[in-house]
Amino acid sequence: MDAIVVLLAAPLAGAFLSIAAPRLAVVASALVCVVAFVAIGLLGAEMLELGPAIVVPGNWGVPLGIGLEADGKAVAFLAMTALVMAGVITAASVEFAPGSGRRSFGFWPLALLLWAAMNAMILSRDLFNLYVGLELLTLVAVGLVALSGKADALAAALRYMIFALIGSLLYLLGVVMIYGAHGMLDMGLLSARTPAPADGLALALMTAGLAAKTALFPFHVWLPPAHAGAPAPASALLSGLVPKASFLIALRLWSEAMPDIVRPEALVLIALLGAVAVFHGGLLALRQVRLKLIIVYSTVAQLGYLFLIFPLAGGEGAAQPWSAGAWSGVTFHAVSHALAKAAMFLAAGLYMRAVGSDELGAIRGLARSMPMTTFAFGLAALTLMGLPPSGAFTGKYMMITAALASGQWWWGVVLLGGGLLSALYLYRPLEALFDGEGPAEIIRPRRREELAPLFLAAAAILLGIFSAVPFDLIYVGRPDAAVTGL
Amino acid sequence: MTPWSGPLLPFLVLAWPLLLAVVSILPRVRDHAVRLLPLGPVPALWLAFQPLGEPTLIPDMLLGVQLGLDPARQLLLGMTATLWIIAGLAAQWGNDARRDAIYAGFWGLTLTGSLGVLLSLDVGTFYVSFAAVSLAAWFLVVEERTTTALRAGRVYIVMAFCGEVALLVGLLIGVSHAGSLEIEAVRNGLATAPNAGVAITFLVIGFGIKAGLLPLHVWLSPAHSAAPVPASAVLSGAIVKAGLVGLLVFLPNGAAGNALLLLGFAGAYGAALWGLSQTNPKAVLAYSTVSQMGLMLALIGGGARELVPYYAVHHGLSKGALFLLVGVMMATATTGARVAVLVAAGFVGASLAGMALTGGMLAKAAVKAPLSDALADAVTLTSVTTTVILTWFLWRMWQGDRPARTGSFWPLRLALPLLAGGGALAVPWLLWEEWKGLPVEAYLSLSTLTDSLLPVAAGLVAGLLLIWRPLPQVGTGDLLLLVEQPLARLAQIPPERKREPREIHLFARLAEVSGRLETRLVRWSVASAVMLALTLAVAFLTR
Amino acid sequence: MSVYLPLLILLSSLVPALLTFFLPERAHGLRNGLNLGGALIKLGLITVMLVSVGRGATYDFSMQLAPGLVLALRPDALSLLFMTLSALLWFLTTIYAIAYFEGKPNQSRFFGFFSLCVAATTGLAMSGSLITFFIFFELLTLATWPLVIHQQNRASLAAGRVYLAYALPASAALLIAILWLESVTGPILFSTPAPLDRLDDTSLRIIFALFIAGMGVKAGLIPLHGWLPVAMAAPAPVSALLHAVAVVKAGAFGIARITIDVFGIDRVEALGVGTPLAVLASATILWGSIRALQQDEIKKRLAFSTVSQVSYIVLGVALAGPFAVIGGLAHLVHQGLMKITLFFCAGIFAERAGVKKIEGLNGLGRIMPWTSVAFSLGALGMIGLPPLAGFVSKVYLGVGALQSGSAWALAVLAASTLLNAAYFLPLLYRLWYLPPAPDAAGDEGKPGLVVPAVLTAAASLGVGLFAGSPYSPLGWATLIVTREYLP
Repeated sequence: MDAIVVLLAAPLAGAFLSIAAPRLAVVASALVCVVAFVAIGLLGAEMLELGPAIVVPGNWGVPLGIGLEADGKAVAFLAMTALVMAGVITAASVEFAPGSGRRSFGFWPLALLLWAAMNAMILSRDLFNLYVGLELLTLVAVGLVALSGKADALAAALRYMIFALIGSLLYLLGVVMIYGAHGMLDMGLLSARTPAPADGLALALMTAGLAAKTALFPFHVWLPPAHAGAPAPASALLSGLVPKASFLIALRLWSEAMPDIVRPEALVLIALLGAVAVFHGGLLALRQVRLKLIIVYSTVAQLGYLFLIFPLAGGEGAAQPWSAGAWSGVTFHAVSHALAKAAMFLAAGLYMRAVGSDELGAIRGLARSMPMTTFAFGLAALTLMGLPPSGAFTGKYMMITAALASGQWWWGVVLLGGGLLSALYLYRPLEALFDGEGPAEIIRPRRREELAPLFLAAAAILLGIFSAVPFDLIYVGRPDAAVTGL
Repeated sequence: MTPWSGPLLPFLVLAWPLLLAVVSILPRVRDHAVRLLPLGPVPALWLAFQPLGEPTLIPDMLLGVQLGLDPARQLLLGMTATLWIIAGLAAQWGNDARRDAIYAGFWGLTLTGSLGVLLSLDVGTFYVSFAAVSLAAWFLVVEERTTTALRAGRVYIVMAFCGEVALLVGLLIGVSHAGSLEIEAVRNGLATAPNAGVAITFLVIGFGIKAGLLPLHVWLSPAHSAAPVPASAVLSGAIVKAGLVGLLVFLPNGAAGNALLLLGFAGAYGAALWGLSQTNPKAVLAYSTVSQMGLMLALIGGGARELVPYYAVHHGLSKGALFLLVGVMMATATTGARVAVLVAAGFVGASLAGMALTGGMLAKAAVKAPLSDALADAVTLTSVTTTVILTWFLWRMWQGDRPARTGSFWPLRLALPLLAGGGALAVPWLLWEEWKGLPVEAYLSLSTLTDSLLPVAAGLVAGLLLIWRPLPQVGTGDLLLLVEQPLARLAQIPPERKREPREIHLFARLAEVSGRLETRLVRWSVASAVMLALTLAVAFLTR
Repeated sequence: MSVYLPLLILLSSLVPALLTFFLPERAHGLRNGLNLGGALIKLGLITVMLVSVGRGATYDFSMQLAPGLVLALRPDALSLLFMTLSALLWFLTTIYAIAYFEGKPNQSRFFGFFSLCVAATTGLAMSGSLITFFIFFELLTLATWPLVIHQQNRASLAAGRVYLAYALPASAALLIAILWLESVTGPILFSTPAPLDRLDDTSLRIIFALFIAGMGVKAGLIPLHGWLPVAMAAPAPVSALLHAVAVVKAGAFGIARITIDVFGIDRVEALGVGTPLAVLASATILWGSIRALQQDEIKKRLAFSTVSQVSYIVLGVALAGPFAVIGGLAHLVHQGLMKITLFFCAGIFAERAGVKKIEGLNGLGRIMPWTSVAFSLGALGMIGLPPLAGFVSKVYLGVGALQSGSAWALAVLAASTLLNAAYFLPLLYRLWYLPPAPDAAGDEGKPGLVVPAVLTAAASLGVGLFAGSPYSPLGWATLIVTREYLP
């Protein structure tokens, strides 16, 4: 119970502390990390015994109060956030060392606020509360994009902001319609509502808004410029974490709150967008010559995978046995993607600093002088390709199994084809890194900067090797039919 | 399964020459390895005079080694061992004494194979031995490293390999039909197998190559002319016999009879006549070997297979003796001594031709007995051709280069072929009773003597005529001369075509499409339209 | 002990692998000790397992990764055949590689991935379920890539690209096949026959074809063999690893598993897919040999020879008679021993005499006698000269072909023998009978290079000479077939 409150309060407190005493920002962040890991550990242990944890601050009771609920997925996403944060904080403690100017002053509170917003969105079940979280997340993210203060970064931040605000607006519109029709906003209660005629439109509005924020094709166009100018640790957060929150809400809406009004064709439509994203993003990644842009377009593609779960676990599929596999699969995929993508951005940042550019021609041969970073990059690439023994493979395996079990094998083909495409575009930077001797003089990263991506990438791999432990956790709070699985 | 049963000696017979071969490579021995050559066959000779015992079984080795003898093979073993010892001794002088460890090592390996073919009772050991005798002999053929030797070696190895493969196919069919690796079982199986024809064809090809069956004999004359003299002696006396032994032990009675008869006699006559076109005495002898082997193959086909070993012993010893005499002649300077060598060769040759009172007469007589009259006459007629070719051989030998000085230890060197030749003359007499069951006196009569004199006399006249008016002389290899060039051209491998690596156009083109799409999507107007469309679509698709 | 023995065997190469990555480049003694020690421990553990499995013991170690995704290590006799081979050759290759890389850069990276490869191979051999097999199969692909590009020049990078371009689509095919199958039958364990009756024949045929396509890339079946000759850009120990110890073997082993344990020999026959596979294998045998004839680079010639020889294994399995399967499985070991000898020697020729083309071999026999003898033994064995290892395989394959009524395979064997002779004998001829070039120089000064080559050459003679023994590869293959596939 208290753990949930701590998870919301700790990053917020850290953020305030880092504004009040900028010199202590790193210490504060590290402290938040420790507290968060302990809290997540306690929460997970408690859940395994007692089932989903629900807390209502102020004891006002739903629907009047705001319900916070942690189920298996939520804990998985919380852990993902904490891990990525820990890695990013470690790496950023060098680049944004306190007292090194405006950028570092801005970074720490923004990062910790982002964490708080993430946690809030993961735990909250109240649609309006989610809106607040969404807005906070957006604003913080825009701040991170604009951090460098350069002109193109500001332009990218503006574009992002417009997209995000339109998305928020649409979402809010949907929320208002729901509240108008049913007088309640808690997802758990909504699932038992009597359907109203406007529900469909409300859901559509909310979905469109969330899709814009998740950078689902064709609303992904804000993502690449936003990353291009952002510093590497910020990119790691933007790519690894931010889209996952809005995705989670969208998925909950379609599978938990209102699965009854969803027709299969709608699910297929969403998944089709995801499938197009997989290939579109992959092909565009093939065209890029900058390492960072390759990684960004890879994010576009990888986010597409997530939406393939809609026809498997959304709508009526939510109660089917195979949805268990789909849920677990998508959770694994999201978590390992976040870890690997963060690792990759951090590694890319190190390369960029070492040679002053992230063009493939510039990073040629860096494997020799930066073996550990390259190793981390390789492990992360392996995860993104969805190859065993990474967590992404486990995820992919579960999703394909679910697709086959539900008779929709074509989504499995999309998953595999996307994996091959990702191998194709990730091979280019890998090959460049191994090509030749590399420059003699580089700016060497600090040891802990090198360890951060390695730690994240290794976590993504270990997730695949020891995937049995998280599994039990993910199942908590699942409909019975979907627990037994296949 | 016990790892071993039966006497040790047969195994030692095979292991000993191999051991010597390995010892030859040792640095201290390397330069004098030729001295070891005569020691290799000693245990084999010893075994040849032991009473027949239990077979030796070593199931862990190869595919389950089984070694043993029967009377016929014991006889051939004795002949083979003797010949190898004599040839080994003959290799102790002159150029032969200076040969290196490679020669000595592969001599040992060839010897092992040659003995193993006789000793093995299972297909695995037989095939291994046959490969050893067949392929290791290549090193003996090319020893001189001259252009002709290398050409002979090329022909030899190609044919030997083809023979190995044909044999393997034939044996595999036999083994799979018999369900056993025992030679006995395979032979019995081949008598009844439905597809035995295929197997027997392959076996005849495989063994026929080795035994010089027409038209697979083409390797013999180049190889024999190129090889050093002692090697030629064992090649002709012992190694080609491996093919004969193979046919004897694997071919069911009467199988492929007509083919063997036809090709055998064609070889027996044709080779003897073609040999007259050769200048090199060793090439002439090689054709004589083809002719004699043809006769023996015809005998297998004609139903006299039980007596073929008896004939083969005589041929092996006498042919070995003749080859060694060529070597002696090459080291003989004085005319008197040369005449002596010529006379010795004349005696051995006469025996080979089946001249009265020689061992050869008995050998021919023995094999003629079970044959039909026509076939028996055909055998008699080979005496004529043999005499012709051997007369020509004696002439060519006499005409050979005369060295400035007679080689050292000349009497000893002459004694070795005399020993072999003497054996050839005597052994048929000694064994007659054992093989025919009758005392030899019962066979001898005036008519049999004149019967064996006449063809020889006729042949001698023809031979002398040819010396007076020789046939045109050609190179070695007869049929080979026709097919060598076209085959070599056929075997030319076209060089690899270098292909330029192809770019992956497909992905590049698809990526271009994606790129164009992206530039559209970036526009605000498009983005908002799409957002509206999605909202409406989802709204429309919900209940 | 009995439960954890498979895990220990896996760890005996995994732990050295992971530790090696973090060793500084100059820690030669520690690195070498770690790798050799791991190899020795592994050999010891495998010997223990070999003895007890020979007595009928079974091992089982399972770990649930996800529901339905079980990592199962269940070594059986077939596993042990492959494991023993790879462990033994790993040990020798490690010695060789230590000598080979002396004074060269990036050793920690090399030995780390090298050990990882062997860990993957061991895991693959011990896999008790399809998905476990797949996981290790993939791990093998990935761990090999850094080895292929180890030299970091244009040629090796191109090789790495081609390697992955073949391997990754193949694993996608494999994954499709596995998931398709398992979505109907549930998780498939090699030890229990899968309920394949639930699928119709056409689906099963397609699945089988997908399996073969997936494994066939590694096994070098035409037309999926293109990566193998290109991968020759890798250093010699890697070629040895690719061709003898791990990669192509993994493909062949996989085909054996699929055919024998997943589908079962009877069903393969009933579906009518055995003969096409045998034909494909035969075509590979012949095509590989013909292509080998065209090469004038030693390693390329050897590479195409691998393409040809590995298909013997596939042919044996596809012919599906007991004798053919015995021959195929025995060839798994035989080919490994002979081919690793050849690659060791090719590496020595390249390193110590600077010879990469076959013209350079002229007269090296006298300059480098040990290497040349080892090379000759390996080559003659490949030809199938008795009593070397290749001969034994050939006899069993031939008899097996006849027993399963595929007499045409005999012609393939015969033709392949002749072709093998045609591309190997000229090399031996050059080694021993042609005069050396005036500037030819070489020495055998590094025992770490020469001794492994001589040992494997001796082994390829030994396994042929004592093929009848129950402890020979042939004996073990017979045990596998009689115990597990001939009820």
